[in-house]
Amino acid sequence: MSIEELAFLALAVVALVTAVAALLVRELVHTILWVGVFFVDLAALYFLLEAPFLGVLQLGVYAGAVTVLLLFGIMVTRKRIFSREAATGIGSVPFALAVVTFIFAVAAVGELPQSSQPVRTYDPTLLSENLFGPNGPWLLLLGLIMMAAVAGSIYLVREGRE
Amino acid sequence: MTDLPIVGFVALSTALLAVGLFGILTRRNFILILIAIEIAMNATILNFVYFGAFSGGSGGLTGQSIAVVLIGFAATEVAVGLAIVLALNRLKGTINVAQATDLKL
Repeated sequence: MSIEELAFLALAVVALVTAVAALLVRELVHTILWVGVFFVDLAALYFLLEAPFLGVLQLGVYAGAVTVLLLFGIMVTRKRIFSREAATGIGSVPFALAVVTFIFAVAAVGELPQSSQPVRTYDPTLLSENLFGPNGPWLLLLGLIMMAAVAGSIYLVREGRE
Repeated sequence: MTDLPIVGFVALSTALLAVGLFGILTRRNFILILIAIEIAMNATILNFVYFGAFSGGSGGLTGQSIAVVLIGFAATEVAVGLAIVLALNRLKGTINVAQATDLKL
């Protein structure tokens, strides 16, 4: 087993454990901490996949901005930051649905080629050319949607709206 | 150049999707539901990156480009979601989605 495979296995286990822990711990602030670790772990996976630009983007946008935004959401909606959630329990139907989804998807994995393949390294310059060339319209669409989202968010939270 | 198993990546993102789905269906707190959606979304983005990386040719670039756009979409979705959280908190005094039933007949 190569060092890359070992690194992938470790990162995959950490990703799964932190994702489950984020959803099962009862204090919301701890949830944010777990999900922060999850985002950093995924950034490490992107670096492993030879996508350094995406790794840095993941660190900046997810581990940085999204985590702080979620923390801010908790801060302004709770009187006591560390108060515990009421236990909601694990519904048997959703749990069964999630397990069945996972089993079906893993069964579908059997159809994929089993051998490992080399991962190619790309220059970030090539990525930017691709992003602003053939995929330019998607980037423009993203900008438009972001602008609409900002306007909608301001409308939702402005004072005096009933 | 690195050698990594495709199956491992597919299994990982599938498991993450299942965890996200589980969270969306079982949690009652709006912020926890948002986090569960983010986990599922991250599984999707990971899918694009590694299928691109393993496809050869310029497929990796396309996969990474789509991933960049998707990360932007996910961040936008969190911003709008938190605006809804704040509005819900102002209207109801709680962010428990079980109590946001005003549109029920």
